Amino acid sequence: MAKVLIPTPLRQYADKHDTVDLGGATVGEVLSKLTTQYQDLRRQLYSDEGKLRSFVNVYLNDEDIRYLKKEATPVQDGDTIAIVPSIAGGAVTEAPPQPATLSKDEILRYSRHLIMPEVGMEGQLKLKSAKVLMIGAGGLGAPLGMYLAAAGIGRIGIVDFDVVDFTNLQRQVIHGTSDVGRKKLDSAADTMHEINPYVQIDKHETALSSENALDLFKDYDIIVDGTDNFPTRYLVNDACVLTGKPNVYGSIFRFEGQATVFAYEGGPCYRCLYPEPPPPGLVPSCAEGGVLGILPGTIGLIQATETVKLILGQGQPLVGRLLLYDALAMRFRELKLRKNPECPACGEHPTITKLIDYQQFCGIPQHQPAPAPGVSEGEIDPVEVKAKIDRGDRFVLIDVREPHEYQICNIPYAKLIPLGDLPKRVNELNSADEIVAHCKSGMRSAKAVDFLKQAGFKKVKNMKGGILAWSDKVDPRVPKY
Amino acid sequence: MIEIEKQPWQQMVEHARSTYPNECCGAMLGSVNDGQKRVVAAMPLENASAGSQRQRYELRPEDLLKADREARRQQLDLVGIYHSHPDCGAYFSETDLKNSCPWYSFLVLSIQRGEFDHANSWLPNPDQTAAEKEELVRR
Repeated sequence: MAKVLIPTPLRQYADKHDTVDLGGATVGEVLSKLTTQYQDLRRQLYSDEGKLRSFVNVYLNDEDIRYLKKEATPVQDGDTIAIVPSIAGGAVTEAPPQPATLSKDEILRYSRHLIMPEVGMEGQLKLKSAKVLMIGAGGLGAPLGMYLAAAGIGRIGIVDFDVVDFTNLQRQVIHGTSDVGRKKLDSAADTMHEINPYVQIDKHETALSSENALDLFKDYDIIVDGTDNFPTRYLVNDACVLTGKPNVYGSIFRFEGQATVFAYEGGPCYRCLYPEPPPPGLVPSCAEGGVLGILPGTIGLIQATETVKLILGQGQPLVGRLLLYDALAMRFRELKLRKNPECPACGEHPTITKLIDYQQFCGIPQHQPAPAPGVSEGEIDPVEVKAKIDRGDRFVLIDVREPHEYQICNIPYAKLIPLGDLPKRVNELNSADEIVAHCKSGMRSAKAVDFLKQAGFKKVKNMKGGILAWSDKVDPRVPKY
Repeated sequence: MIEIEKQPWQQMVEHARSTYPNECCGAMLGSVNDGQKRVVAAMPLENASAGSQRQRYELRPEDLLKADREARRQQLDLVGIYHSHPDCGAYFSETDLKNSCPWYSFLVLSIQRGEFDHANSWLPNPDQTAAEKEELVRR
């Protein structure tokens, strides 16, 4: 038998008992017996959908069952179950904001929202009063910015410091061909204002950092993460946890994407899922691995949908669930995410109480204070490679990119050995020969050079800047990608 | 109706003045008869809000559990929760309403420039969409 302590105000529904002894294998069973015995208690404790009301906490002895196995927590003989409401509140001392209203033109513009009961005038005014901060105006930021503006979010902040280039246009549909060379902030804001002039857009031309994140976040209700690197993801997550703002998360790679809402009222955060970053270089970025141009559209729009739902307070938010999307299979799957009580950011005893150095946390070496001018040891300039070819020097040029990249452009003199094949094809190379490796920009070929040196090759060099630099310095007919 | 005796009343006012400009919070212990509440003891509790306590308070459920146990020990009932509103009126704010529960009386003490100004008691409805003002009598 377990002893259930009935709080004073509920005793009137339990024949004035202050404790009730009940059997049951789990907390859920005991509560179910309790509310069967005392029907009137049911409405006090459970919502119409049969869930424990949001303010009801259940304690088994001295532990909140949320941190045990919730209603499945096993009950032993002699245990005490207590029902405790959660209570908080506070005055809002700032002058209450002027209630938003819609002009005649806005009513016309938002009419398809206004006629739905789930949005209506009340919801549309919530959207107008909402303040959303987008991190990045790239692949995910493009659909996000356009649809959030169209939906009538009152104030949208964008953090970005990049410039539009031609490789962006395959997916970043908020920017057009004539925007190449412009700041992404300006280009995105123009497109959004063209869609909806009633939206206030705050342009934050800066890289999000541990120094500015808390200050930037404090003016917004919801943060939408549209970044593509681990340091910024951890930074956005931690800053969201510290400021208590939900983090609407999305990520994309090649044909696959993920989305969820982190750090939302009792839900898990990014660190609950990934306490530690992957080793640097293990997970390629979109610039290295490529991405289907439409993919960020799909994922960005899931983020936009969740943002609007959070503002409206409608539906089931994507909290505690990681949505996985596979464009090739055209399939959505869902993984359950749990809040980790041991989480260093949002757990019961957080160790992350302020923002840290996220580059270092992710194992990324700090920027060299002054990049060495010219070519360092172990590297060779593309101009020098061209001179060697022209002089007829005896050396081997290997291209360590993938075959499909080789098809886009190549240096005819080069031999294609993709980086992944190098270990099994190393016997095609002669350690007596001078070897130069190149790839797209010099990253993968640096790895190839390291590999070959470890394999005993002494005369190996990395062509600095890859085939992109070759196009710039040697042969402008070679297309860049 | 909620009646508050002199001793707990003075204790709550003193608590609210001492935490000014931050909000304070605590429990009210007493008895209930046919919806008539009488408060005979106040129990100050810690404001556990992690954010700015100037406009926020949060009661740890564990503390509330302790208050409930202490009430049982003294053969009293936990009848209400009190908190202060520094430099603003004793209204039941949207934040108060959304984070309340319909089981208790919620006493709000308005503290203006460090001194007690006025107080109101509120009864939230089960869906936490509105709160009714409760008649407050000081004994």
